[in-house]
Amino acid sequence: MEIIKQFFFSFICTIGFAIFFSIPKNSILKSGITGAIGWVIYIQITNIFSSTILGIFCGALTVGILGEMLARNSKKPATVFIIPGIVPLVPGSGMYYTMLAITEKRFNDAANIGTETIFIAVAIAMGIIISSSLSKSIKRVKNKS
Amino acid sequence: MVDNLENEKKETKELLSLAILAGSIMLKNGAETYRVEDTVNRICKSRKKTKYVESFVTPTGIFVSLEYGNEIMTYVQRIKTIKIDLNKIDMINNFSRKFAESDLSIEEGINELKKIDKITGYENTIKILWGSLAAGFFSLLFGANLWDFMASFMVTIFVLIFTTKLCKFNITFFISNFCGAAIASALSILLVKIGLGENVDKIIIGAIMPLVPGVAITNAIRDTMSGDFISGLSRGMEAIVIALSIAFGVGLVLKIYFKGVI
Repeated sequence: MEIIKQFFFSFICTIGFAIFFSIPKNSILKSGITGAIGWVIYIQITNIFSSTILGIFCGALTVGILGEMLARNSKKPATVFIIPGIVPLVPGSGMYYTMLAITEKRFNDAANIGTETIFIAVAIAMGIIISSSLSKSIKRVKNKS
Repeated sequence: MVDNLENEKKETKELLSLAILAGSIMLKNGAETYRVEDTVNRICKSRKKTKYVESFVTPTGIFVSLEYGNEIMTYVQRIKTIKIDLNKIDMINNFSRKFAESDLSIEEGINELKKIDKITGYENTIKILWGSLAAGFFSLLFGANLWDFMASFMVTIFVLIFTTKLCKFNITFFISNFCGAAIASALSILLVKIGLGENVDKIIIGAIMPLVPGVAITNAIRDTMSGDFISGLSRGMEAIVIALSIAFGVGLVLKIYFKGVI
């Protein structure tokens, strides 16, 4: 039940951002599903291994792979699906809590949360880079044969 | 003979300006740098006369050199505003493929590009409504309750209306993000004081989400990892400045709030 709730929330969230970034009309639903699957995987991995960064990495990797597959399928650039899809994973809350800690002069907490925020951003980029370079090399192999 | 050469030169010039126009529309709407480079190269190479093309794209400018006959032409285009409009990226991507494969005349191509540039896409009200809905659901994802969702939705509508109004006055993104974040946190605190919503932090996190430079941060790291260091640095700088402005806005209001003024 919890998973369905999370899926629904992140689905609407991704669709909202997709429209905010003015995505083509026929890709709205696909990008929503991409983002929702990425979020659910993030939640599950984080619960199982109790590591946020691993969860974010797996979520971003899923979004990247799904985005590349959808891009191939519907002949659109992969960014169209990836940018709205990663928005739920982006560490906006980390930024807020870091700033809150600084204003309350809890500098140790600020360093802790701030570092985690940066690592989350790196994890997202890693996930996307791995999926996009995978798809590039697959394309190259297919073109040769 | 001389006439023919002159014509050829003119045509190549027009081809170059078409490629630059396509590239600058893509870059202005948030495309990755390597995609812009690919597009510019593809358009320039699509006509037989050009021997050699090399483009260098950073988020703030495009540089293209093109050799034909025994002359080299160079075009530099400065880019200033960056927003995100995925629809246009998709359209230009399709256009460049179509242009390279068919022999569409250059004039028609330029007209088509100008048409794409003028497309407005979704109306602002629709964008604001969906952006706010997304912000509300974002705070739900972080464990807010129904009242927090309502509060976050209302706050974000105000913030987005305000920032889009500010955009029309050509104010730098630093100020508009700063004001947006400050208004978001002030309104959230106010709504919680009134009794609509319980968790200030979750409402604020939802409300600043449309402003947060998540895409810029991710693109910056991605560019750096794939070897485009200059564009990585400049996107990273953009992301850091936006993040700082949001942090200043939120921090200022929280500071005033904790002093007990509101």
